[in-house]
Amino acid sequence: MPLIDAMDVHKTYRLGRSNVVRALQGVNMSLESGEMVAIMGPSGCGKSTLMHIVGLLQPPSTNGTKPVLKYRERDMTTLSDRERTRIRATEMGFVFQAFNLVSTLNAVENVALAAEYAGQPKPKAKASALDALGLVGLAERAGHRPMELSGGEQQRVAIARALVNRPGLILADEPTGNLDSANSKEVMELLRRFNREQKQTILLVTHDPEVGKACSRIITMRDGKVTAV
Amino acid sequence: MRILRNLARRKLRTTLTVVGITIGIWALVVMSSMANKIGALVDGGSSYFADKIIVSDSANLAFGFSSAPIRVSVAADIEAIDGVDVTVPEVDMLLDPDRSGPAFNIPDRIVASMAGADKGREKFPIKAALGRLLVPEDEGKNVVVLGSDLGRKFNKKPGERMTVRGIEFEVVGILEPTLSAPDTSVWIPLAAGQALLLETLPDVMQREFKASELASSITVYPDPGVDIPALAKTIEQRVPRTQSLTGAEFDEQVGSAIAIFNAIILGVALISLVVGGLSVINTMAMSVAERTREIGVKRAIGATRARIVREVVTEAGVIGLFGGTLGLVLGAVVVLAANEAGRSSGTILFQLTAGTAIFAVVFAVILGMLAGLIPAITAARLDPVEAIRYE
Repeated sequence: MPLIDAMDVHKTYRLGRSNVVRALQGVNMSLESGEMVAIMGPSGCGKSTLMHIVGLLQPPSTNGTKPVLKYRERDMTTLSDRERTRIRATEMGFVFQAFNLVSTLNAVENVALAAEYAGQPKPKAKASALDALGLVGLAERAGHRPMELSGGEQQRVAIARALVNRPGLILADEPTGNLDSANSKEVMELLRRFNREQKQTILLVTHDPEVGKACSRIITMRDGKVTAV
Repeated sequence: MRILRNLARRKLRTTLTVVGITIGIWALVVMSSMANKIGALVDGGSSYFADKIIVSDSANLAFGFSSAPIRVSVAADIEAIDGVDVTVPEVDMLLDPDRSGPAFNIPDRIVASMAGADKGREKFPIKAALGRLLVPEDEGKNVVVLGSDLGRKFNKKPGERMTVRGIEFEVVGILEPTLSAPDTSVWIPLAAGQALLLETLPDVMQREFKASELASSITVYPDPGVDIPALAKTIEQRVPRTQSLTGAEFDEQVGSAIAIFNAIILGVALISLVVGGLSVINTMAMSVAERTREIGVKRAIGATRARIVREVVTEAGVIGLFGGTLGLVLGAVVVLAANEAGRSSGTILFQLTAGTAIFAVVFAVILGMLAGLIPAITAARLDPVEAIRYE
């Protein structure tokens, strides 16, 4: 049973009267539970868009086509914003290229935020957050604000945030894009460890062939279509 | 705490917004305190006039203080009318004869009547804080009871002497505050009042009348259950050269003046609402724009739209709370200082009640939250993907 099943997914953006961008043009892909998959391809090929759709951040376009998007056999195309938000909160974790921590909150508060969104009461969320920070080796930096952390440390806090609810799926958009090679390596090792030890399914978007090599499978995209699985 | 940290991101902007609300609430507190004081005066008058009819000479202005005297003997004619229970002749004049023209607060007055002449009908609660009230045995003596504001203004205690319109009186009592007209009145026996009243009349009249024949007005207590306005009309018809004033007329005349004042207060509240509200909208809209990316990330990792709305609205409410509290404190300082400055002259202009204080702060908080709602909804509607890309 695939964790994610997507068929005939289109995404069209209408930027102006005659400026229509076809970001995805009939993508088929599936993701088995426990996989670690990289989506690769040139800029503008639609890999981020695919990840956003899989991550329920935006729905596929439905103009004339009948897309299939299933998460654990459940149809995701007809969910309301509230339902999609709930699944993102409880069953998915997100890691961004620019770390995107909340600047006014310290490390543990940033991680706890995701636990609160998933419905944990504040004290419990904080305990879970400290656990998650421990997993990424930053327990002793819990009280630091993002400004006081290095880029590598910030991305590890973001990984802890993605991990805190033990989601089935972690989505990472260029997770090493803003890091030097040493930090990139460390971040990838963390992701691989969680994939191996916690059986977390990981889908990441990258330009970096090194990152691609670290994954169990690569999906290659070009011009809004999947060209190799 | 998180809210305070968010507000602290732009300290100057937050401060200016808080100041905007502070000014509005400050004005609201001061104006409402003034309205409270005037309202208390009017309520006092309203309850004083509610159960009686004041009959005076028809030459007087309806609500001016009586200057044309009425004969005491008229009281007997009125008492003969069906439905009249008790009549009490009263002398009523300004304490300071040189005071003329309208002023903001009601002027100090002299009220003279025979103690006990109302036969227990007067229900307006008056108590002595120091010394005693007037008693029937005081008739013929020059003794005086002072309202609470005047006790302070003249700094007198029972046993001390004071001059009233050139005549020396012995102070026998100071009243408890009523927050109403009695606070700025002095009470003397009827005979003493009649003597003072005679002095105010032109020479021709002084030769014609004896002091004991004179009163400013006659207070009429009707029998229980009598239609007061109808009785007032009957008195005017049956007793020549009289006009009567009832509680309903008092309420009508004074009520319209109060309505204007309340409209001014409402205006101040509205202006503070508009100005304060706009500045909160502006501030929160800017802060939402600055945090677009952060909001997108929060939405991505699972914050519901409702949670984003709550976050922004709470922040705006806290701005309102700060502004409201600060405005209340400033307003209270002004009110207390002005009352303290006016105390020596007996001019207490403001009355800050707990109700006004609570209303001001609650109003500010609700105003802030309502104003925060517009940017909050904008924030909640952001598309997470676009918001995360936002630089």
